[in-house]
Amino acid sequence: MVQVVFEKVSKAYGDTVAIPGLDLMIESGEFVSLLGPSGCGKSTTLRMLAGLEQPTSGNIRIGDRDVVNLAPAARDIAMVFQSYALYPHMTVAENICYPLKKRGVAKADRAIKLAEVAALLQLEPLLARKPGQLSGGQQQRVALGRALVREPSVFLLDEPLSNLDASLRAHMRAELIELHRRLGKTMVYVTHDQLEAMTMSSRIAVMRAGELQQFAPPDEIYNRPANVFVAGFIGTPAMALADGSLADGGGHLVVHVGPLAVALPYAAAARPAAVTVGIRPEDVLVGEGPWQAQVRLVEPTGYETIVALDAGGLALTARVPGSKALRVGETVPFDLRRERIHLFDKSDGRRWKPAGR
Amino acid sequence: MPDIALQRSGLSRERRDALLGLLLIAPTVLVLGAVIVYPLLSAIALSFQSVYTPTLEGHWVGLANYRELLGSGGFWAALLTTAIWTVGTLTLQILIGVAMALLLHQNIIFRSLARSLVLFPYFLSTVVAVLVWRWLFNDLYGIVNHGLMAAGIIDAPVNWLGAMPNAMLSIMVVGAWKFFPFVVIAVLARLQTIPEALYEAARIDGAGPISRFFDVTLPQLREVLTIVILLRTVWDFKEFDLIYLMTGGGPVNGTRTLPLIVYQQAFGLNQMGMAAAYAVSMMLVMLVFMLAYLQRARKAAA
Repeated sequence: MVQVVFEKVSKAYGDTVAIPGLDLMIESGEFVSLLGPSGCGKSTTLRMLAGLEQPTSGNIRIGDRDVVNLAPAARDIAMVFQSYALYPHMTVAENICYPLKKRGVAKADRAIKLAEVAALLQLEPLLARKPGQLSGGQQQRVALGRALVREPSVFLLDEPLSNLDASLRAHMRAELIELHRRLGKTMVYVTHDQLEAMTMSSRIAVMRAGELQQFAPPDEIYNRPANVFVAGFIGTPAMALADGSLADGGGHLVVHVGPLAVALPYAAAARPAAVTVGIRPEDVLVGEGPWQAQVRLVEPTGYETIVALDAGGLALTARVPGSKALRVGETVPFDLRRERIHLFDKSDGRRWKPAGR
Repeated sequence: MPDIALQRSGLSRERRDALLGLLLIAPTVLVLGAVIVYPLLSAIALSFQSVYTPTLEGHWVGLANYRELLGSGGFWAALLTTAIWTVGTLTLQILIGVAMALLLHQNIIFRSLARSLVLFPYFLSTVVAVLVWRWLFNDLYGIVNHGLMAAGIIDAPVNWLGAMPNAMLSIMVVGAWKFFPFVVIAVLARLQTIPEALYEAARIDGAGPISRFFDVTLPQLREVLTIVILLRTVWDFKEFDLIYLMTGGGPVNGTRTLPLIVYQQAFGLNQMGMAAAYAVSMMLVMLVFMLAYLQRARKAAA
């Protein structure tokens, strides 16, 4: 069942167009991340869904209702803010109950709801405290509680983890996944952190300059990026991207990139004139192979080592297992996982799918 | 070795730093002593004497001035008048000030111009302001009476400054007009620091404009309003020129506040000692608010 629909939604601030025209359909119960760099329009999209901003044109539907002209409170949504936005003079209990109070829920019913939410989020010992007396993670849980207590059909989360330190963030990520699994509610999550998007989402909407680049499950985004932007944006360390060309190597396809000529197991039929070639670090195999590269930089991380390579002018990044003793300046042989090389048509930046694949 | 050099000079490093510190604050201490502590102590000393103002000659009378002051009805009546004036004008200042600050916080047109203009009464000299207001309130040709009569609210001109309680209401209004910009500045500054996300959260939680004011804005303004009220209480309590110029304390003693009595005793009746006794009594009353303010300020800083 479709839960949230954006239909040709645009947003302009004066002459500046933030979102030229967005179409997006979110299924019921999905966890969708809006992912992109700063200024890509992901927060504006969420705020339009919340009713905090009015779209310049287009329709937004939640369930079967058109919500563009509805007040935020009437949209059956709840939102968690990056700054948590807890009311500082109210206790944790008062904060959580506030949306119920404003909806005229009786005091006894409020107490029951509060007890449920407090138990779910382990907030019982904190109920009498003020937000100022809580840690960042605790405030985060209170903000979640205030959203949960109303049992809305859609949860909106605006970078809720970005104010937490790294270890707490990993912990809250796991808690959010668990919470989504238990509640089964639709969640729309804005983030600029691809790790958050990759780990939590059922689908990711990658945005750039107000335009949707790709809307797909995390593994598809990673393994089959729709265009050069998505390819370069997703993945740490980033995919190496370089200009290349395609040729016919006697029936099969040959990609020329830098000094390399890589034979690919595809037919050489119709092909674009120029391509952008993308190679992920894990697809560069250092140790043996037909080509030579010079080591420019070695970054051991313990489990693996990130190595920057220079293959005759072609810059590549490789992941090498363990902390292999590579020296800067050394020349090493390498190979590529040929079937995993990404090709993008240079004329429009889109993924090019060779025939026979 | 530096340690040996220090020992030879006979002073530890800490003691030398402490001496330097004393030397650096000495000018401030001297100036404050000359312009605050000395006048304060002489005023207290003066209040135990009977002094003839023109010659400044007098003799020690002990607590006689205070006995007379506390025994006379004039002091208590003036204290009550001062309290009424302070509470009345301050209430108006706060109400107008907060309302104006809320208005100026909105995205209205000419906002920056309006923000500058609103300060105008605060910067205007009291003498000029009072002259204008006395003219407006004049019972024969004042525009206030003219307007009210034209609108049919009153049938005959009202004596705004020469009858009670009109005179008290009039000075309260002028005081409010003169001093509300201070409230606006303080409240507006605070309003700008309230995170927008709180209002957005409240909107999503179902709070209307009135709920948002009482549940988000007002609690955030509590601290600044406390400080503003304490400060303005002290300042309104000792207000002299505005009241003196508007009504001179009249009609009869209707608007005669404590500062006016001090002036009257010192320069009307030439009793400098008695005036000092009134002034010291006033100071004791204000000290309560001053201490409350200091405690608040210290709490806010901590």
